[in-house]
Amino acid sequence: MLLQRIFASVLLLVCIGLALMAWPYQAAFSYEPVGPRAFPLLMLGLMGMGLLYMIFRPAPIVHSEDDPQLDRETLIKIGICVVLLLVFAGTFEPLGFIVSSILIGIPMARLYGGRWLPSVVIISLMSIGLYLLFDRVMDVPLPLGLLDVLEN
Amino acid sequence: MDTLNYLGQGFGVALTPYNLVTALCGTLIGTVVGLLPGLGPINGVALLIPIAFALGLPPESALILLAAVYLGCEYGGRISSILLNIPGEASTVMTTLDGYPMARQGLAGVALSLSAWSSFIGAFIATCGMVLFAPILAKWAIAFGPAEYFVLMVFAIVCLGGMAGDRPLKTFIAALIGLFLSSVGIDANSGVYRFTGDNIHLTDGIQFVVLVLGLFSISEILLLLEKTHRGQEAVKATGRMMFNFKEAASVFTVNIRCGLLGFIMGVLPGAGATLASAVAYMTEKRIAGASGKFGQGDKRGLAAPETAIGGAACGALVPMLTLGVPGSGTTAVMIGALSLYNITPGPLLFQQQPDIVWGLIASLFVANVMLVILNIPMIRIFTRILAVPNWALVPVIAIITGIGVYAVHATTFDLFLMIGIGIFGYILRKLDFPLSPVLLGFILGGLMEQNLRRALSISNGALEILWSSPITFGVWVLTAIMLLMPILRIWRKRSAQRRALANA
Repeated sequence: MLLQRIFASVLLLVCIGLALMAWPYQAAFSYEPVGPRAFPLLMLGLMGMGLLYMIFRPAPIVHSEDDPQLDRETLIKIGICVVLLLVFAGTFEPLGFIVSSILIGIPMARLYGGRWLPSVVIISLMSIGLYLLFDRVMDVPLPLGLLDVLEN
Repeated sequence: MDTLNYLGQGFGVALTPYNLVTALCGTLIGTVVGLLPGLGPINGVALLIPIAFALGLPPESALILLAAVYLGCEYGGRISSILLNIPGEASTVMTTLDGYPMARQGLAGVALSLSAWSSFIGAFIATCGMVLFAPILAKWAIAFGPAEYFVLMVFAIVCLGGMAGDRPLKTFIAALIGLFLSSVGIDANSGVYRFTGDNIHLTDGIQFVVLVLGLFSISEILLLLEKTHRGQEAVKATGRMMFNFKEAASVFTVNIRCGLLGFIMGVLPGAGATLASAVAYMTEKRIAGASGKFGQGDKRGLAAPETAIGGAACGALVPMLTLGVPGSGTTAVMIGALSLYNITPGPLLFQQQPDIVWGLIASLFVANVMLVILNIPMIRIFTRILAVPNWALVPVIAIITGIGVYAVHATTFDLFLMIGIGIFGYILRKLDFPLSPVLLGFILGGLMEQNLRRALSISNGALEILWSSPITFGVWVLTAIMLLMPILRIWRKRSAQRRALANA
């Protein structure tokens, strides 16, 4: 309940912020009666009304029985996972696809309960395999990054 | 007669060797993707969009590929629900109720092939329905102007909330989030930059693939972290693989009833496979009465939801193809794919590009037949795939998702945006918000705004145009009924509770 109220309040503030941002949107000259700001403002307004209702009357969340409760340990794991994904996005171009996916793939496999040796072997093979599959076979260009030297 | 003619042409397109191989690949990929935890039809189709584009497939082949993947995913989802008792997605929850008990009784192979058969009948009925009704609907839809379209989309959004049942407000908010997100980027009519924050990567708007993969893949990866400690043993599929004639005959009437039901529910926007399977199961349970052993491995209990899912999955393509208005998350993704190929689904598509439409419909028949045939020899391999542990699977899913997003624009900004959207999606999920309305809102948002503005341009700003024609007025009435439905349901539930309290 409390979480929902906090979430709804934050989203409501975001809505108000976005509405303020949208207010000055006006076409320099136009031939149509509806400008660029009407639709987003309408959506934000409706969303705001829904959120207000949610702040005062949040619906209870029905937990299915196999849904584990969030504890500190899981939250830390989720934090680590997000950081790993961000590292992946950050190193994708500079380090290249193969290096960056090995770099984040192995700790991620560990995070999901894999042992060191199988994780290292499988993730390394997968990274190289996926690179060959997508870049060479399917024509989806992927950056080589550090391994650029191997190219020629 | 025209229809049969066109259908023949469609089979001509679908049965070329190239497209047959495409459909086969699609069904295989789809089944595997549907099998894997954390990947469903929505991610499966979304991941393949950039890849199909990069492969340079011609539009009709790409569409056939996506449709085959869509059906394959629906099929793969049931393997994990029958063998593991883990529904791959919401629509297969009902399959676990009788499918898993059947598997426990040593009838795993029979359960799988019977469910494939049921879903084939459902899909077959729905595809026939599509052949009959889609051209009529398309002809009728040509009379639709922008005002009618706008109202129709309002109806689709409201339907989502009205049909979703237990949490209309959250569904509504989720759809509005999607509708709002669609307005990010440069405004096509006036050239005003909206909500871009001077970021050049956002001028084009949020990429559809980025939104889908963030919302569904990344949030699923985070969600899987909570479940790492649990191992699940799959029931071994041994013994007889194929159902026999008696078993098929015993569920045939169920198949017919539920196939029709599934088709109708699939055509309605917002209802979709989840509701269809639930209604089908409940109805059959009531019809069977005391003679049924529902919940303990009754064949009818397995056939009913499966037929309905098969029917609804194909029925959902009707509004998408004829009106260009998607009714479910997956068809919303397919519209995204079509727009990449510069194909605008809608009534005109039937006149201008009949090859594509009828090729797609014919390939649905073909893909359905393939799925039934594939089931028998491949089931052992599919069960092997189920044994792949999460620690090997999740990093690979994460990496492939990264590739899919990078393939769209080749910028890392999209990767960061995807992670941000993924975290937001995870929070939404934890708070019990449904995610597919966000997607549907995102797809409908652009269309809705364009049609609203066009309609008001025609009437020079007078709002009457939105309800003056008979079609718009009728749709508004339906919308009002849909809006009242959840309120009525809550009210009835409360009064029932009060009565129960008074009796106690």
